[in-house]
Amino acid sequence: MRILFLLCALLCTTVSQAQKNNYQIHLLDKGLVENANAVVRLAQMDIHISSTRKMTYTVRRAVTVLNKLGNKHARTYVSYDKEKKIKKIEAYVYDKTGKEIMHIKKKDFQDVSAVDGFSLYLDDRLLQHRYTPTQYPYTMEFVYEVESSDTGALPPWYFLSNYLVSLEKGKYSISHTGEALKPVVKEFNLSDINVSKSESPGRLTYTAEQIPAIKNESLSPSFAKIAPHISVRLPNFHFKGHDAAVNDWKDLGQWIDDKLLNGRTDLPQGTKNKIRDLTSGVSDDLEKAKIVYKYVQDNTRYISVQIGIGGFQPISAIDVDRVKYGDCKGLSNYTKALLEVVGVEAYYTVIQAGNAKVDFDPDFADLRQGNHAILAIPYNNEYYWIDCTSQTHPFGFVGDFTDDRKALVVTPNGGEIIKTVAYLNEDNYQKTKAECQLDPDGGIAGKVNIDTKGVQYDNRFYLEDQADDDVVKHYKNYWSNINNLNVMEYGFVNDRDSIVFTEEVDFEASNYASISGNRILFTINALNKNSFVPDRYRNRKQPFEIQRGFFDEDEFIVKLPEGYTVEAMPDPATIENEFGRYRTNLQYDEINNRVTYTRGLLIKEGVYPKEKYATYRNFRKKVSSGDNAQIVLVRK
Amino acid sequence: MKHITMIFATALLIWSAVASAQEVKFGKVSQAELAQETYPGDPSAPAAVLYKKMRLFYEYRQGLGFSLVTELHERVKIYNQDGFEYATVSERLYKDGRDREDVVSLKAFTYNLVDGKVEKNKLEKSGHFKTGLNKYYDEEKFTMPNVKEGSIIEYQYRVNSPFYWSMDEIVLQYDIPIQYQEVSVAVPEYFNFKPSSKGYLPLSPTYDKTSGKINFTTKQRSGNKVTGTSYNNSTIDYTINKTIFTMREVPALKEEPYVNDMDNYRAAVNYELQFVKFPRSTLENYSTTWEKVVKTIYKSDNFGGQLESSRYFKDDLALLVQGKAGGPEKMMAIFQFVQQRMNWNGYNGFYADKGVKTAYNEKSGNTADINLMLTAMLREAGLDADPVLISTRDHGVPLFPTRKGFNYVICAVSLDGGLILLDASNKFTKPNLLRTNALNWFGKLIKEDGSISTVSVMPENTSRVNTICHMQLDPDGMITGKLRRTHSDYKAYGFRNSYVGIQEDSYLEKLESKNSGMEISAYNIKNDKTVGKPVMESYEFTMEDQISKVGDKMYFSPLFHNTMDENPFSLEERNYPIDFSYPWEERYMISITIPEGYQVEALPEETSLALPNNYGSFRYKIVQQGKMLQLMVNLKMNKAVIPATEYPLVKELYKKVVEKETEKVVLTKNGANGDQDGTSGGR
Repeated sequence: MRILFLLCALLCTTVSQAQKNNYQIHLLDKGLVENANAVVRLAQMDIHISSTRKMTYTVRRAVTVLNKLGNKHARTYVSYDKEKKIKKIEAYVYDKTGKEIMHIKKKDFQDVSAVDGFSLYLDDRLLQHRYTPTQYPYTMEFVYEVESSDTGALPPWYFLSNYLVSLEKGKYSISHTGEALKPVVKEFNLSDINVSKSESPGRLTYTAEQIPAIKNESLSPSFAKIAPHISVRLPNFHFKGHDAAVNDWKDLGQWIDDKLLNGRTDLPQGTKNKIRDLTSGVSDDLEKAKIVYKYVQDNTRYISVQIGIGGFQPISAIDVDRVKYGDCKGLSNYTKALLEVVGVEAYYTVIQAGNAKVDFDPDFADLRQGNHAILAIPYNNEYYWIDCTSQTHPFGFVGDFTDDRKALVVTPNGGEIIKTVAYLNEDNYQKTKAECQLDPDGGIAGKVNIDTKGVQYDNRFYLEDQADDDVVKHYKNYWSNINNLNVMEYGFVNDRDSIVFTEEVDFEASNYASISGNRILFTINALNKNSFVPDRYRNRKQPFEIQRGFFDEDEFIVKLPEGYTVEAMPDPATIENEFGRYRTNLQYDEINNRVTYTRGLLIKEGVYPKEKYATYRNFRKKVSSGDNAQIVLVRK
Repeated sequence: MKHITMIFATALLIWSAVASAQEVKFGKVSQAELAQETYPGDPSAPAAVLYKKMRLFYEYRQGLGFSLVTELHERVKIYNQDGFEYATVSERLYKDGRDREDVVSLKAFTYNLVDGKVEKNKLEKSGHFKTGLNKYYDEEKFTMPNVKEGSIIEYQYRVNSPFYWSMDEIVLQYDIPIQYQEVSVAVPEYFNFKPSSKGYLPLSPTYDKTSGKINFTTKQRSGNKVTGTSYNNSTIDYTINKTIFTMREVPALKEEPYVNDMDNYRAAVNYELQFVKFPRSTLENYSTTWEKVVKTIYKSDNFGGQLESSRYFKDDLALLVQGKAGGPEKMMAIFQFVQQRMNWNGYNGFYADKGVKTAYNEKSGNTADINLMLTAMLREAGLDADPVLISTRDHGVPLFPTRKGFNYVICAVSLDGGLILLDASNKFTKPNLLRTNALNWFGKLIKEDGSISTVSVMPENTSRVNTICHMQLDPDGMITGKLRRTHSDYKAYGFRNSYVGIQEDSYLEKLESKNSGMEISAYNIKNDKTVGKPVMESYEFTMEDQISKVGDKMYFSPLFHNTMDENPFSLEERNYPIDFSYPWEERYMISITIPEGYQVEALPEETSLALPNNYGSFRYKIVQQGKMLQLMVNLKMNKAVIPATEYPLVKELYKKVVEKETEKVVLTKNGANGDQDGTSGGR
């Protein structure tokens, strides 16, 4: 009898487990597995706003991990801080039949300091658990509940959480008590997915089903631009001890000014005197600003420390002045304070920094946007932008870190969305001139002169401060097509006023040309070979984007070895299309026995539909093969 | 796996007696130091340690016993912005339960020369942070105020450690130069530590003896009530043995490619506790010889203890070995079972983490959980199996008997006199093929009776990549072809770890993007999950733009994408051995059908090169057979590690490889004679 009873009990548990979830792998739709390393079986977020100072949300997220690359989508951690408390946290692991194989309880989570990879210190903490998968596929179901007194930055909601992850079912629901707490919602890319929305007084719900995974394709727009998601914000919120009523960027800018920036620009008298001395006799505001920026660059350094409201509020100018370091907010605010002393107006600016250009959304004012702070200096109806975390950038030049994107500028009249300076196409210029001598053994030696501007300047001017061996390493890498490269001498001129960087390099290399009997073969474009060809896709899904474009011009003169003459030369090339222009020309001067090669390559910025991808790829293939073209010499 | 040769040069501790101490007072920074613009001995250094004094010593406190104290005083000059990172100092602090290391008495200043005057800024609380890293470590960090190019920063602090038996490695060489350093280690006679050094710098310590005192105070009460207390003082005198390392002009340690781990070459001293002998108590041994080190480890519950239990796997094992008579057969079955069942949790170690039983049930564990369980199962099945202690490549080579020297354990089975090494902590290892990180010279095999022997873990088998390819050129320069490639041993291991379990499409995209211009079809892979066999890939392809057509001639390097067009060895000289991890060979057999209407005008000449001592070789041969070119290329390295002295020759060999492989085949159109034909394009 006892055995039977046990068996029965066992059966019951299996049955109840089977009812509890639908995470069996065989239930997965085939379309969801395609291009996916993980499938989100269920993603559920329930937010309840009970007052501007109290929000709770519950998250249930079950992810079926198909292979080892999918593990990162099933991570189990939640961050918390002074305002945000974790009320409940647990996780379950199921095997492919949906059977529970592990229950991870709150006590199994480790409490650790958060690490962001660049800050010296953060006071945020994490509860996390590291699970070692014992089989694939498996399903991780992670459940937690959070309560927060901050309602200024609601958790973001992406129906697809990343590339190569699909979604079986997603449900987002936000409820509130009272009309004043009604959230503002903006939808992105929802038209092509299976999603339904329902609204009732005090509650808004989105339910999405069966969204296939997106593949990351080269040159495709950023994930945020193509992924289906919603942004949600409260017009009336509370954040880190401050109340706010925000309808637009003007309001939010005003709030930032009043609550986060105000009263943080005091400076000690000594510093004030010093900066006045430095600018005495200078009347032009822009000239004064240059002096102040240089002073900040020479006297401070970037150290990120995020404590309390530190993620949003700068440490005061007086503190930066004392220790001479700060993060982007601290250094921007400090520079602004110094500029104030000499009567120059500057506006604190919040921006999304990074090589990829990400705009602030002009119709959606919330605190989630932005990860960096810079300054905007108005002068003659124009803005000059400076990044105070750089000790080396010329005044008014921000490179590809914060260029050409909409940012929040905090002006005395509240916030304004303004686009930063753009560096496009011909702005990003490089001119390479060289005179080389080819010797009969195939060796090459010469003098090269490179001028760069715009973003190309940004990629190069740091060389000035590099140690000797790093500079040599740079050239060995930059001219990796030249084997046995030996850099004999180099020199730089950094013209910070007109923002041009000049490199002069003397080099030699043995066996550059290949010798084949009576003939010598060599690639005439030795010094600016562009071999970039974007990846081929059997079935391209996304549009593509050239973010900035550039323009290169080259002029190489190659003296041929004594006793040799040109047998064959590549034909000149001219290709012109909507993506840019490629032109080469070769001239053989028989009297002096030398070849002059000229080349121009313009690549234009732009966003293009996926149908044009193959044409663009073809263009780059032609450029690549043109840059590979060889001259054949023959012994006379 | 028999005799091994050590190529490592070890700097021995040379006992010498002279070295004059240089006393530098905290805070007395000179104008000359501040005015200095570059470090004289190494102008490219972004920063340099001008002075370093480190004292390690013991303190006795009644009721608490001995604790280990490390006092550090450093003066660092910052020359440029790259040196700013040295203005942030961090110290990792070990903790275990309630015991933890602590940083105390931190004092730090930044000095700048302002208008000819020395300006001084104190480190404040706001620049000082403590972070919890994980269960075992905290980190204490501070960043200095007012740092500019030319600043000098100076700090001193002490670290108190209750873990008196364990000294951290004492690092004597940094990534920046050290102008002068004095490091002393003072140990009471009760502790016997054995020093061992590593790196390429000569160390010449001096020795001294001083004395220490322990004061005991004992309370004595008189009568039954608390009417009075008298104190009794007693004193024990002991000798302190002091070792002092004084070094000037210590060069910065600079990165070099193809090195197993730079830290293995950094000058440092390790102190390993041998025994403790307190007055009136017996000697407690820690480690002196390999035998003793190993015995200490073996005795531990987390090691030897893990080998004893067999109940948890008994039923599974019985099923596994059922009907299998031979040792090799049983070994394979058990190895594959453990390899399949168990999942490595990412942690190395020779002590079990969860314990074999829990690990077995949870199907995951650290290397010790997995490989000790494997050993126990093999033993239970009647095989002669033993654990082997190893130090992984990133953990240094244990040249001296130490416990800390090891961080990994594998299993060895003795079969018909031959020894087979097993590591079940990775899904793609096999007998005698360990994880690459474990290929670090040798391991120590421990028998059940406690006897030990040294076994080489360096692979002797050559790992190969063989490529057979047929291609056809057409008159427009289009190439179509078929390729078959096999990866064996470590080449297969690497391939499987990178690609098995990943969608084929994304692998093909990677492959195509690596071979630009190539479009792949009919891809097929065999044995990708059959670990015992080589991985075999085959595919068909087309390629464009790989041939330069100039006039009526075609030029191409016949290896196409497989051409080595860049020498990986670009440095002029090298101090450290070249470490390939295992012997390897790459072989190409390529046949190329030339297009209709073309004939061969020139072919690269045959070449054959070899390094001395049979270290490696390169062969290249191309011949014409009718409309076909037959190419055979073979590059191989017969030794896993080649000493630094051979560097110029290896570099030269690679230079020749690049030259030869980039050489061109020249085809000419029939009927045309390039030398006289004036219609060649572009002239």
